[in-house]
Amino acid sequence: MTSKKTPTKPVDFGTSFQELEKIISWFEGDEIDLDQGLKKFERGLELAQVCRTRLKEVENRVNELKVKFGELDN
Amino acid sequence: MQKYTVSEFVNFVNAALSAVVFPEGVAIEGEITEYRVSQGKWIWFLLKDQESVVSCFSMTWKLRQPLEDGLQVRVIGQPKIHPRSGKFSINVDRVEPVGEGALKRAYELLKKLLEKEGLFDLARKRSLPRFPERIGLIASRESAAYSDFLRILKNRWGGIEINSLHVQVQGAEAINSIVAAFNYFNVHPELAEVLVLTRGGGSLEDLHAFNAEEVARAVFGSKIPVVVGVGHERDESLADFVADVRASTPSNAAELLVPDRQELINQLRSFSARLVTIMTGAVVIQQGNVSQAVRQIESALSFSVSSFRHRLRDLADAFARLAVDVVRTKDEQQSLWHRLHTTGDQWLGHLTNSLSSKERMLSSFDPQSVLRRGYAIVRRRGQVLNNATTIAVGESVAVQLHHGSLTAKVTKKSS
Repeated sequence: MTSKKTPTKPVDFGTSFQELEKIISWFEGDEIDLDQGLKKFERGLELAQVCRTRLKEVENRVNELKVKFGELDN
Repeated sequence: MQKYTVSEFVNFVNAALSAVVFPEGVAIEGEITEYRVSQGKWIWFLLKDQESVVSCFSMTWKLRQPLEDGLQVRVIGQPKIHPRSGKFSINVDRVEPVGEGALKRAYELLKKLLEKEGLFDLARKRSLPRFPERIGLIASRESAAYSDFLRILKNRWGGIEINSLHVQVQGAEAINSIVAAFNYFNVHPELAEVLVLTRGGGSLEDLHAFNAEEVARAVFGSKIPVVVGVGHERDESLADFVADVRASTPSNAAELLVPDRQELINQLRSFSARLVTIMTGAVVIQQGNVSQAVRQIESALSFSVSSFRHRLRDLADAFARLAVDVVRTKDEQQSLWHRLHTTGDQWLGHLTNSLSSKERMLSSFDPQSVLRRGYAIVRRRGQVLNNATTIAVGESVAVQLHHGSLTAKVTKKSS
């Protein structure tokens, strides 16, 4: 496998996006440590890329559950 | 003519009524009057129209909805003679409001009741997952609401799993099937992070199921957060009020559930841009810090150098002063020497004079000079003898003269 992304584990958009937001707000703080900043900067760009890729998915999967009323009523 | 005992008659009539005359029960429309509840258990009221009245009886666990006098209703139940009282009444299973006015009134009554119970409390409303991955959809697959919801959802967001349960949203089965759908999803929470109950608009009668107490309680009791989107904007339903999030339409439900893809793309773009800007800024600031530090070091160095030069000059001056001092000191030393010598000579002359006078004086004390004048020193056994009493006659003494000495014998002594 050449890519870092494993196809078996789908990207959790929410988690990635939240992490990215955290990084952004870290950068908006007062003091930026350059070493730490560089790591976070790289991670941020990576997350943004991951999220963008996830956004390219256009189809939703609709499962029409076949449940009869008898089963539904319990 | 058939003869009966009272009990036989009552039992026969009741059996005939339920098995033959009204095998499916009876539905009677009229206005409620003299409504009362006794001991919190039994419900009594009369159903009337312009000419007639029929007595109705039920139990509070069966008729949960609030009723009041003047309400136009359809009563569904079984007519029966009560053996003990002989009273003929309808054993009511269900009461449905009839007509727009009555429906509205019944709706208002139930709304008030549920509100009082806290089903609409804002404090218990849960927030929806921000980016839901699995949605449980409770709707009729034939409805426009169903396709509208899915269409808007797809326009806005992709990659979601939608688990849909087909339910009746209108008619006799509607309430049961909606309640059952809620139960199903709550038994299978892995199917949905959020539930959506939706249908298109309609009259109050059409929306009956969404105003039913059972549905309201099913929404209230759901462990999974619920979005309810019913009808067009002007409509409201009790399910709306109980829902965690109330959507105005099925499309609006989709809008409230997922963000718009394009907005997110823009936001991500602005995030990346901000990251780059901030990082570049940080680097520039850091560079500035470094240059400033370099400048500071430079100025500190040049200050040190110049202060070193100063010191050096000071040191040179000090040396010069020292040299002058040394020269001066040397002169002083010479003069001191000179003075020392001069003074020494004088002092020495004085001292020599004083010494020769002292010598003279001293030489007058010299025993030799005394001996020269004729005196002698008498010693007995080496000790100077200066007292005649300490020596006996006959003893020998040594006599030292200016020139030579002699030994003498004491022949006589006097004191």
